[in-house]
Amino acid sequence: MNDGPRLFSILRQGPYLIASVHTALDDSQLVRFQNDLVERIGSDRARGVVIDVAALDVLDSFASRTLRDMAEMARLRGAVTVIVGIQPDVAFAMVQLGMDTGRVVTALDLEEGLAELDRGARDPTAQRP
Amino acid sequence: MVSGEPVESGAGDRGSADVAALIPLVRRIVASRVPDPATADDLVQETLTRVLAAAGRVEPGLLEPYAIVTARNTVASMWRDQDRQRRHQHRVVDLRPPQAPDEDVLAREDRTAVAEALTRLSDRERTTLLAHEVSGQDTRSLAAELGSTAGAVAAQLNRTRARLRVEYLLVSERAEPPTERCRPVLLAISGGDRRRQREVDAARHMLECDLCARLSEPLMGRGRSRDDAVRVAVRTDADVVAARQAAREVATRLGFSATDVTLIATAVSEMTRNIVRFADSGEVVVAELQEPRTGISIVARDAGPGIPDVEQALQDGYSTYRGLGLGLPGARRLMDEFAVVSEIGRGTTVTMTRWRGEA
Repeated sequence: MNDGPRLFSILRQGPYLIASVHTALDDSQLVRFQNDLVERIGSDRARGVVIDVAALDVLDSFASRTLRDMAEMARLRGAVTVIVGIQPDVAFAMVQLGMDTGRVVTALDLEEGLAELDRGARDPTAQRP
Repeated sequence: MVSGEPVESGAGDRGSADVAALIPLVRRIVASRVPDPATADDLVQETLTRVLAAAGRVEPGLLEPYAIVTARNTVASMWRDQDRQRRHQHRVVDLRPPQAPDEDVLAREDRTAVAEALTRLSDRERTTLLAHEVSGQDTRSLAAELGSTAGAVAAQLNRTRARLRVEYLLVSERAEPPTERCRPVLLAISGGDRRRQREVDAARHMLECDLCARLSEPLMGRGRSRDDAVRVAVRTDADVVAARQAAREVATRLGFSATDVTLIATAVSEMTRNIVRFADSGEVVVAELQEPRTGISIVARDAGPGIPDVEQALQDGYSTYRGLGLGLPGARRLMDEFAVVSEIGRGTTVTMTRWRGEA
Protein backbone atom coordinates (compact mmCIF):
# COMPACT_ATOMS: atom_id res chain seq x y z
CA MET A 1 0.00 0.00 0.00
CA ASN A 2 2.80 2.42 0.87
CA ASP A 3 5.23 1.50 -1.83
CA GLY A 4 6.05 3.26 -5.04
CA PRO A 5 7.07 6.87 -5.53
CA ARG A 6 5.20 9.58 -3.70
CA LEU A 7 2.76 11.33 -5.95
CA PHE A 8 2.43 14.29 -3.62
CA SER A 9 4.77 16.62 -1.77
CA ILE A 10 4.55 18.22 1.66
CA LEU A 11 6.74 21.33 1.98
CA ARG A 12 7.27 23.62 4.89
CA GLN A 13 6.64 27.35 4.52
CA GLY A 14 7.14 29.18 7.82
CA PRO A 15 4.56 27.92 10.31
CA TYR A 16 2.56 26.30 7.51
CA LEU A 17 2.70 23.15 5.46
CA ILE A 18 1.96 23.22 1.76
CA ALA A 19 0.75 19.81 0.59
CA SER A 20 0.45 19.43 -3.16
CA VAL A 21 -0.97 16.56 -5.11
CA HIS A 22 0.95 16.00 -8.36
CA THR A 23 -1.33 13.72 -10.30
CA ALA A 24 -4.51 11.69 -10.04
CA LEU A 25 -4.26 9.60 -6.88
CA ASP A 26 -5.90 6.30 -6.25
CA ASP A 27 -7.48 5.47 -2.94
CA SER A 28 -4.48 3.92 -1.26
CA GLN A 29 -2.25 6.80 -2.36
CA LEU A 30 -4.81 9.19 -0.89
CA VAL A 31 -4.72 7.35 2.40
CA ARG A 32 -0.93 7.51 2.36
CA PHE A 33 -1.17 11.24 1.67
CA GLN A 34 -3.48 11.62 4.66
CA ASN A 35 -1.21 9.66 7.00
CA ASP A 36 1.94 11.46 5.91
CA LEU A 37 0.33 14.86 6.32
CA VAL A 38 -1.03 14.20 9.79
CA GLU A 39 2.41 12.97 10.80
CA ARG A 40 4.14 16.05 9.36
CA ILE A 41 1.79 18.40 11.22
CA GLY A 42 3.16 17.00 14.46
CA SER A 43 6.82 16.77 13.49
CA ASP A 44 6.88 20.25 11.91
CA ARG A 45 4.66 21.79 14.59
CA ALA A 46 2.64 23.35 11.80
CA ARG A 47 -0.13 25.84 12.59
CA GLY A 48 -1.76 25.70 9.21
CA VAL A 49 -1.97 23.48 6.15
CA VAL A 50 -2.74 24.32 2.55
CA ILE A 51 -3.75 21.30 0.50
CA ASP A 52 -3.47 21.93 -3.23
CA VAL A 53 -5.67 19.54 -5.19
CA ALA A 54 -5.45 21.25 -8.58
CA ALA A 55 -3.96 18.11 -10.11
CA LEU A 56 -6.83 15.84 -9.07
CA ASP A 57 -8.96 15.01 -12.10
CA VAL A 58 -11.84 13.88 -9.96
CA LEU A 59 -12.93 14.48 -6.41
CA ASP A 60 -15.32 11.63 -5.86
CA SER A 61 -16.90 10.61 -2.60
CA PHE A 62 -13.83 8.86 -1.28
CA ALA A 63 -11.43 11.67 -2.14
CA SER A 64 -13.82 14.26 -0.67
CA ARG A 65 -14.21 12.28 2.51
CA THR A 66 -10.46 11.83 2.79
CA LEU A 67 -9.90 15.56 2.42
CA ARG A 68 -12.59 16.26 5.00
CA ASP A 69 -11.00 13.76 7.37
CA MET A 70 -7.59 15.29 6.81
CA ALA A 71 -8.90 18.73 7.72
CA GLU A 72 -10.56 17.31 10.80
CA MET A 73 -7.47 15.42 11.90
CA ALA A 74 -5.33 18.51 11.32
CA ARG A 75 -7.73 20.53 13.45
CA LEU A 76 -7.42 18.00 16.24
CA ARG A 77 -3.64 18.34 15.95
CA GLY A 78 -3.92 22.11 16.24
CA ALA A 79 -3.62 23.16 12.61
CA VAL A 80 -6.05 24.96 10.33
CA THR A 81 -6.54 23.50 6.88
CA VAL A 82 -7.40 25.29 3.66
CA ILE A 83 -8.06 23.36 0.49
CA VAL A 84 -7.13 25.17 -2.70
CA GLY A 85 -7.19 24.55 -6.43
CA ILE A 86 -10.49 22.73 -6.90
CA GLN A 87 -11.07 22.97 -10.63
CA PRO A 88 -14.38 24.40 -11.84
CA ASP A 89 -15.41 21.13 -13.53
CA VAL A 90 -14.50 19.17 -10.44
CA ALA A 91 -16.50 21.56 -8.27
CA PHE A 92 -19.49 21.14 -10.56
CA ALA A 93 -19.23 17.36 -10.36
CA MET A 94 -18.92 17.45 -6.57
CA VAL A 95 -22.11 19.46 -6.25
CA GLN A 96 -23.93 17.20 -8.69
CA LEU A 97 -22.75 14.16 -6.80
CA GLY A 98 -24.33 15.64 -3.68
CA MET A 99 -21.19 16.04 -1.65
CA ASP A 100 -21.52 17.84 1.67
CA THR A 101 -18.32 19.86 1.94
CA GLY A 102 -19.56 22.78 4.02
CA ARG A 103 -17.16 22.53 6.93
CA VAL A 104 -14.00 22.52 4.91
CA VAL A 105 -12.31 25.88 4.30
CA THR A 106 -11.40 26.47 0.69
CA ALA A 107 -9.61 29.14 -1.28
CA LEU A 108 -9.11 29.70 -4.96
CA ASP A 109 -5.36 29.14 -5.13
CA LEU A 110 -2.23 28.81 -3.06
CA GLU A 111 -1.82 32.55 -2.57
CA GLU A 112 -5.38 32.96 -1.35
CA GLY A 113 -4.95 29.90 0.82
CA LEU A 114 -1.89 31.30 2.59
CA ALA A 115 -3.65 34.65 3.01
CA GLU A 116 -6.56 32.82 4.57
CA LEU A 117 -4.23 31.09 7.04
CA ASP A 118 -2.63 34.43 7.92
CA ARG A 119 -6.05 35.92 8.63
CA GLY A 120 -6.93 32.94 10.81
CA ALA A 121 -3.63 33.26 12.71
CA ARG A 122 -4.22 36.95 13.44
CA ASP A 123 -7.72 36.38 14.70
CA PRO A 124 -7.96 33.02 16.44
CA THR A 125 -11.60 33.65 17.36
CA ALA A 126 -12.53 33.53 13.68
CA GLN A 127 -12.88 29.75 13.80
CA ARG A 128 -14.89 28.11 11.05
CA PRO A 129 -18.26 26.76 12.07
CA MET B 1 10.51 -11.81 -89.48
CA VAL B 2 7.84 -11.42 -92.09
CA SER B 3 8.10 -14.03 -94.79
CA GLY B 4 8.13 -12.99 -98.39
CA GLU B 5 5.52 -15.60 -99.34
CA PRO B 6 2.42 -14.37 -101.02
CA VAL B 7 -0.52 -14.18 -98.63
CA GLU B 8 -3.50 -15.39 -100.59
CA SER B 9 -4.38 -18.15 -98.19
CA GLY B 10 -6.67 -17.83 -95.11
CA ALA B 11 -5.72 -15.88 -92.00
CA GLY B 12 -4.98 -19.05 -89.98
CA ASP B 13 -2.56 -20.43 -92.58
CA ARG B 14 -0.89 -17.12 -92.90
CA GLY B 15 -0.48 -16.96 -89.12
CA SER B 16 1.06 -20.41 -88.81
CA ALA B 17 3.41 -19.76 -91.70
CA ASP B 18 4.54 -16.52 -90.07
CA VAL B 19 4.98 -18.22 -86.73
CA ALA B 20 7.00 -21.03 -88.30
CA ALA B 21 9.35 -18.38 -89.63
CA LEU B 22 9.85 -17.14 -86.07
CA ILE B 23 11.06 -20.48 -84.71
CA PRO B 24 14.84 -19.83 -85.10
CA LEU B 25 14.47 -16.45 -83.38
CA VAL B 26 12.51 -17.86 -80.43
CA ARG B 27 14.92 -20.75 -80.14
CA ARG B 28 17.84 -18.33 -79.95
CA ILE B 29 16.22 -16.17 -77.27
CA VAL B 30 15.28 -19.11 -75.05
CA ALA B 31 18.61 -20.94 -75.53
CA SER B 32 20.54 -17.88 -74.45
CA ARG B 33 18.68 -17.93 -71.12
CA VAL B 34 18.06 -21.60 -70.41
CA PRO B 35 21.07 -23.94 -70.66
CA ASP B 36 19.15 -27.24 -70.37
CA PRO B 37 18.14 -28.17 -73.98
CA ALA B 38 15.08 -30.22 -72.93
CA THR B 39 13.67 -27.37 -70.83
CA ALA B 40 14.53 -24.90 -73.58
CA ASP B 41 12.64 -27.02 -76.06
CA ASP B 42 9.55 -27.05 -73.83
CA LEU B 43 9.71 -23.29 -73.48
CA VAL B 44 10.05 -22.79 -77.23
CA GLN B 45 6.98 -24.93 -77.77
CA GLU B 46 5.05 -23.02 -75.16
CA THR B 47 6.07 -19.67 -76.64
CA LEU B 48 5.08 -20.75 -80.12
CA THR B 49 1.72 -22.01 -78.91
CA ARG B 50 1.03 -18.64 -77.35
CA VAL B 51 2.19 -16.69 -80.38
CA LEU B 52 0.12 -18.91 -82.65
CA ALA B 53 -2.95 -18.35 -80.48
CA ALA B 54 -2.39 -14.63 -80.68
CA ALA B 55 -1.40 -14.48 -84.34
CA GLY B 56 -4.89 -13.52 -85.45
CA ARG B 57 -4.96 -10.57 -83.05
CA VAL B 58 -1.48 -9.22 -83.73
CA GLU B 59 -0.66 -6.92 -86.63
CA PRO B 60 1.45 -8.87 -89.16
CA GLY B 61 4.40 -6.50 -88.82
CA LEU B 62 4.35 -6.75 -85.04
CA LEU B 63 4.39 -10.54 -84.79
CA GLU B 64 8.17 -10.64 -84.40
CA PRO B 65 8.39 -8.26 -81.42
CA TYR B 66 5.38 -10.04 -79.93
CA ALA B 67 7.20 -13.36 -80.19
CA ILE B 68 10.33 -11.89 -78.57
CA VAL B 69 8.39 -10.53 -75.60
CA THR B 70 6.42 -13.75 -75.24
CA ALA B 71 9.60 -15.83 -75.25
CA ARG B 72 11.12 -13.68 -72.52
CA ASN B 73 7.95 -13.79 -70.44
CA THR B 74 7.70 -17.53 -70.72
CA VAL B 75 11.25 -17.95 -69.47
CA ALA B 76 10.69 -15.43 -66.67
CA SER B 77 7.55 -17.14 -65.47
CA MET B 78 9.37 -20.48 -65.40
CA TRP B 79 12.02 -18.93 -63.18
CA ARG B 80 9.33 -17.49 -60.97
CA ASP B 81 7.65 -20.87 -60.64
CA GLN B 82 10.92 -22.55 -59.77
CA ASP B 83 11.67 -19.92 -57.19
CA ARG B 84 8.23 -20.22 -55.63
CA GLN B 85 8.55 -23.96 -55.47
CA ARG B 86 11.92 -23.70 -53.77
CA ARG B 87 10.57 -21.26 -51.21
CA HIS B 88 7.52 -23.36 -50.42
CA GLN B 89 9.12 -26.74 -50.53
CA HIS B 90 9.19 -27.03 -46.75
CA ARG B 91 5.43 -26.77 -46.73
CA VAL B 92 5.03 -30.04 -48.46
CA VAL B 93 5.94 -31.74 -45.21
CA ASP B 94 2.77 -32.69 -43.34
CA LEU B 95 3.20 -31.37 -39.85
CA ARG B 96 -0.16 -32.47 -38.51
CA PRO B 97 0.15 -34.86 -35.62
CA PRO B 98 -0.98 -38.38 -36.33
CA GLN B 99 -4.68 -38.88 -35.79
CA ALA B 100 -5.68 -39.58 -32.22
CA PRO B 101 -7.89 -42.66 -31.81
CA ASP B 102 -10.90 -40.62 -30.64
CA GLU B 103 -10.61 -38.02 -33.38
CA ASP B 104 -12.88 -39.94 -35.67
CA VAL B 105 -15.55 -40.26 -33.02
CA LEU B 106 -15.32 -36.58 -32.15
CA ALA B 107 -15.52 -35.61 -35.80
CA ARG B 108 -18.62 -37.77 -36.18
CA GLU B 109 -20.24 -36.19 -33.12
CA ASP B 110 -19.37 -32.78 -34.50
CA ARG B 111 -21.00 -33.61 -37.81
CA THR B 112 -24.10 -34.87 -36.04
CA ALA B 113 -24.28 -31.67 -34.02
CA VAL B 114 -23.98 -29.51 -37.12
CA ALA B 115 -26.60 -31.60 -38.91
CA GLU B 116 -28.95 -31.38 -35.92
CA ALA B 117 -28.36 -27.64 -35.66
CA LEU B 118 -29.13 -27.27 -39.37
CA THR B 119 -32.51 -28.97 -38.91
CA ARG B 120 -33.40 -26.34 -36.34
CA LEU B 121 -33.12 -23.54 -38.90
CA SER B 122 -36.13 -22.56 -40.93
CA ASP B 123 -36.34 -24.07 -44.43
CA ARG B 124 -35.64 -20.78 -46.09
CA GLU B 125 -32.65 -20.04 -43.88
CA ARG B 126 -31.22 -23.49 -44.43
CA THR B 127 -31.68 -23.43 -48.19
CA THR B 128 -30.05 -20.03 -48.54
CA LEU B 129 -27.17 -20.90 -46.25
CA LEU B 130 -26.43 -24.19 -48.00
CA ALA B 131 -26.70 -22.60 -51.43
CA HIS B 132 -24.15 -20.01 -50.39
CA GLU B 133 -21.75 -22.06 -48.27
CA VAL B 134 -21.91 -25.45 -49.94
CA SER B 135 -22.86 -24.75 -53.55
CA GLY B 136 -20.94 -21.50 -53.59
CA GLN B 137 -23.77 -19.44 -55.01
CA ASP B 138 -23.01 -15.75 -54.56
CA THR B 139 -25.23 -13.32 -52.71
CA ARG B 140 -26.19 -11.44 -55.85
CA SER B 141 -27.69 -14.40 -57.65
CA LEU B 142 -29.33 -15.52 -54.40
CA ALA B 143 -30.82 -12.07 -54.08
CA ALA B 144 -32.19 -12.29 -57.60
CA GLU B 145 -33.87 -15.63 -56.80
CA LEU B 146 -35.31 -14.38 -53.53
CA GLY B 147 -36.39 -11.03 -54.90
CA SER B 148 -34.12 -9.20 -52.49
CA THR B 149 -30.86 -7.27 -52.52
CA ALA B 150 -27.37 -8.71 -52.14
CA GLY B 151 -26.84 -6.72 -48.95
CA ALA B 152 -30.04 -8.01 -47.40
CA VAL B 153 -29.12 -11.58 -48.31
CA ALA B 154 -25.67 -11.13 -46.75
CA ALA B 155 -27.23 -9.77 -43.58
CA GLN B 156 -29.68 -12.66 -43.52
CA LEU B 157 -26.80 -15.10 -43.99
CA ASN B 158 -24.99 -13.51 -41.07
CA ARG B 159 -28.05 -13.92 -38.87
CA THR B 160 -28.40 -17.51 -40.01
CA ARG B 161 -24.78 -18.25 -39.19
CA ALA B 162 -25.24 -16.65 -35.78
CA ARG B 163 -28.27 -18.87 -35.19
CA LEU B 164 -26.42 -21.93 -36.44
CA ARG B 165 -23.59 -21.27 -33.98
CA VAL B 166 -26.06 -21.01 -31.12
CA GLU B 167 -27.96 -24.15 -32.10
CA TYR B 168 -24.72 -26.02 -32.65
CA LEU B 169 -23.54 -25.16 -29.14
CA LEU B 170 -26.89 -26.11 -27.66
CA VAL B 171 -26.86 -29.45 -29.47
CA SER B 172 -23.28 -30.27 -28.57
CA GLU B 173 -23.92 -29.32 -24.93
CA ARG B 174 -27.13 -31.36 -25.10
CA ALA B 175 -28.80 -28.47 -23.36
CA GLU B 176 -32.22 -26.98 -23.68
CA PRO B 177 -32.35 -23.27 -22.78
CA PRO B 178 -33.95 -22.98 -19.34
CA THR B 179 -35.74 -19.72 -20.04
CA GLU B 180 -37.29 -18.17 -23.11
CA ARG B 181 -34.85 -15.28 -22.85
CA CYS B 182 -31.84 -17.51 -23.45
CA ARG B 183 -32.13 -17.85 -27.23
CA PRO B 184 -32.55 -14.14 -28.00
CA VAL B 185 -29.63 -13.32 -25.72
CA LEU B 186 -27.37 -15.99 -27.23
CA LEU B 187 -28.37 -14.90 -30.72
CA ALA B 188 -27.51 -11.29 -29.98
CA ILE B 189 -24.14 -12.33 -28.62
CA SER B 190 -23.46 -14.73 -31.45
CA GLY B 191 -24.27 -12.05 -34.02
CA GLY B 192 -22.05 -9.56 -32.22
CA ASP B 193 -24.96 -7.11 -32.39
CA ARG B 194 -24.45 -4.83 -29.46
CA ARG B 195 -27.61 -2.81 -29.96
CA ARG B 196 -29.62 -6.01 -29.86
CA GLN B 197 -27.62 -7.18 -26.84
CA ARG B 198 -28.67 -4.06 -25.00
CA GLU B 199 -32.28 -4.49 -26.07
CA VAL B 200 -32.47 -7.97 -24.63
CA ASP B 201 -30.26 -6.96 -21.68
CA ALA B 202 -27.78 -9.71 -22.44
CA ALA B 203 -25.30 -8.72 -19.73
CA ARG B 204 -27.88 -9.12 -17.02
CA HIS B 205 -29.15 -12.38 -18.36
CA MET B 206 -25.65 -13.82 -18.40
CA LEU B 207 -25.24 -13.04 -14.74
CA GLU B 208 -28.47 -14.88 -14.04
CA CYS B 209 -28.22 -17.84 -16.36
CA ASP B 210 -25.44 -20.38 -15.94
CA LEU B 211 -26.00 -21.98 -19.31
CA CYS B 212 -25.83 -18.69 -21.20
CA ALA B 213 -22.82 -17.57 -19.20
CA ARG B 214 -21.05 -20.74 -20.30
CA LEU B 215 -22.21 -20.75 -23.91
CA SER B 216 -21.51 -17.07 -24.38
CA GLU B 217 -17.80 -17.61 -23.98
CA PRO B 218 -17.12 -19.28 -27.31
CA LEU B 219 -19.59 -16.88 -28.92
CA MET B 220 -18.06 -13.77 -27.38
CA GLY B 221 -14.70 -14.15 -29.07
CA ARG B 222 -16.37 -13.19 -32.32
CA GLY B 223 -16.52 -9.66 -33.60
CA ARG B 224 -14.52 -8.26 -30.74
CA SER B 225 -11.88 -6.82 -33.02
CA ARG B 226 -14.24 -4.18 -34.39
CA ASP B 227 -15.40 -3.37 -30.91
CA ASP B 228 -15.33 0.31 -30.13
CA ALA B 229 -15.62 -0.44 -26.42
CA VAL B 230 -12.83 -0.09 -23.91
CA ARG B 231 -12.62 -2.77 -21.26
CA VAL B 232 -10.85 -2.25 -17.99
CA ALA B 233 -10.40 -5.19 -15.69
CA VAL B 234 -10.88 -4.04 -12.12
CA ARG B 235 -9.08 -5.56 -9.14
CA THR B 236 -7.22 -2.88 -7.25
CA ASP B 237 -7.36 0.79 -6.32
CA ALA B 238 -5.17 1.68 -9.25
CA ASP B 239 -7.78 0.25 -11.63
CA VAL B 240 -10.24 2.84 -10.36
CA VAL B 241 -8.00 5.54 -11.77
CA ALA B 242 -7.46 3.52 -14.97
CA ALA B 243 -11.21 3.07 -15.47
CA ARG B 244 -12.04 6.70 -15.01
CA GLN B 245 -9.23 7.73 -17.29
CA ALA B 246 -10.51 5.33 -19.95
CA ALA B 247 -13.97 6.89 -19.60
CA ARG B 248 -12.41 10.34 -19.77
CA GLU B 249 -10.63 9.48 -23.01
CA VAL B 250 -13.70 8.03 -24.70
CA ALA B 251 -15.88 10.92 -23.56
CA THR B 252 -13.36 13.48 -24.79
CA ARG B 253 -13.14 11.72 -28.14
CA LEU B 254 -16.91 11.81 -28.42
CA GLY B 255 -16.88 15.57 -27.96
CA PHE B 256 -18.30 15.86 -24.46
CA SER B 257 -17.62 19.17 -22.75
CA ALA B 258 -14.88 19.29 -20.10
CA THR B 259 -17.51 19.53 -17.39
CA ASP B 260 -19.38 16.50 -18.69
CA VAL B 261 -16.14 14.56 -18.96
CA THR B 262 -15.46 15.22 -15.28
CA LEU B 263 -19.01 14.24 -14.32
CA ILE B 264 -18.67 10.98 -16.22
CA ALA B 265 -15.23 10.29 -14.74
CA THR B 266 -16.62 10.90 -11.26
CA ALA B 267 -19.49 8.49 -11.79
CA VAL B 268 -17.11 5.85 -13.18
CA SER B 269 -14.84 6.39 -10.20
CA GLU B 270 -17.71 5.72 -7.78
CA MET B 271 -18.89 2.59 -9.54
CA THR B 272 -15.41 1.18 -10.01
CA ARG B 273 -14.62 1.73 -6.36
CA ASN B 274 -17.71 -0.25 -5.46
CA ILE B 275 -16.33 -3.18 -7.46
CA VAL B 276 -12.97 -3.01 -5.68
CA ARG B 277 -14.61 -2.66 -2.30
CA PHE B 278 -17.41 -5.18 -2.49
CA ALA B 279 -16.40 -7.71 -5.08
CA ASP B 280 -12.98 -9.16 -5.62
CA SER B 281 -12.90 -8.33 -9.26
CA GLY B 282 -15.00 -7.11 -12.09
CA GLU B 283 -14.82 -5.07 -15.21
CA VAL B 284 -15.80 -1.70 -16.52
CA VAL B 285 -16.76 -1.41 -20.16
CA VAL B 286 -16.90 2.03 -21.69
CA ALA B 287 -18.65 2.11 -25.05
CA GLU B 288 -19.56 4.72 -27.57
CA LEU B 289 -23.19 5.13 -28.50
CA GLN B 290 -24.25 6.58 -31.82
CA GLU B 291 -27.94 5.69 -31.71
CA PRO B 292 -30.25 7.51 -31.24
CA ARG B 293 -27.74 10.20 -30.29
CA THR B 294 -24.09 10.42 -29.45
CA GLY B 295 -23.51 9.21 -25.96
CA ILE B 296 -21.35 7.16 -23.70
CA SER B 297 -22.39 3.96 -22.03
CA ILE B 298 -20.61 2.56 -19.03
CA VAL B 299 -21.18 -0.88 -17.66
CA ALA B 300 -19.62 -1.75 -14.33
CA ARG B 301 -20.00 -5.45 -13.74
CA ASP B 302 -18.85 -7.72 -10.98
CA ALA B 303 -19.53 -11.21 -9.76
CA GLY B 304 -19.48 -10.18 -6.13
CA PRO B 305 -21.94 -10.78 -3.31
CA GLY B 306 -24.66 -8.60 -4.80
CA ILE B 307 -26.73 -5.85 -3.20
CA PRO B 308 -29.50 -7.14 -0.91
CA ASP B 309 -31.76 -4.13 -1.36
CA VAL B 310 -31.07 -2.06 -4.44
CA GLU B 311 -33.77 0.48 -3.58
CA GLN B 312 -32.16 1.10 -0.23
CA ALA B 313 -28.69 1.32 -1.74
CA LEU B 314 -29.96 4.02 -4.06
CA GLN B 315 -30.99 6.16 -1.09
CA ASP B 316 -28.68 9.01 -0.13
CA GLY B 317 -26.59 8.31 2.92
CA TYR B 318 -27.01 4.56 2.88
CA SER B 319 -23.60 3.06 3.36
CA THR B 320 -22.37 -0.33 4.39
CA TYR B 321 -18.83 0.88 4.93
CA ARG B 322 -17.64 4.16 6.35
CA GLY B 323 -18.34 5.97 3.12
CA LEU B 324 -20.54 8.91 2.45
CA GLY B 325 -23.24 6.66 1.08
CA LEU B 326 -23.06 8.65 -2.11
CA GLY B 327 -21.78 6.01 -4.50
CA LEU B 328 -24.90 4.77 -6.23
CA PRO B 329 -27.25 7.74 -5.68
CA GLY B 330 -24.48 10.20 -6.51
CA ALA B 331 -23.51 8.45 -9.71
CA ARG B 332 -27.17 8.26 -10.63
CA ARG B 333 -27.41 12.03 -10.34
CA LEU B 334 -24.38 12.45 -12.58
CA MET B 335 -25.71 10.35 -15.42
CA ASP B 336 -28.76 10.53 -17.66
CA GLU B 337 -29.68 6.88 -17.39
CA PHE B 338 -28.81 4.58 -14.57
CA ALA B 339 -29.79 1.00 -13.89
CA VAL B 340 -28.66 -1.40 -11.22
CA VAL B 341 -29.22 -5.10 -11.51
CA SER B 342 -28.07 -7.21 -8.66
CA GLU B 343 -28.58 -10.70 -7.47
CA ILE B 344 -27.39 -12.05 -4.17
CA GLY B 345 -24.42 -14.31 -4.60
CA ARG B 346 -24.24 -13.68 -8.32
CA GLY B 347 -23.11 -10.15 -8.79
CA THR B 348 -24.06 -6.63 -9.64
CA THR B 349 -24.21 -4.82 -12.93
CA VAL B 350 -24.56 -1.08 -13.11
CA THR B 351 -25.35 0.33 -16.52
CA MET B 352 -25.21 4.05 -16.97
CA THR B 353 -25.50 6.32 -19.95
CA ARG B 354 -24.90 9.94 -20.56
CA TRP B 355 -25.96 11.62 -23.78
CA ARG B 356 -23.96 14.40 -25.27
CA GLY B 357 -25.73 17.75 -25.15
CA GLU B 358 -26.19 19.57 -28.44
CA ALA B 359 -23.09 21.70 -28.53
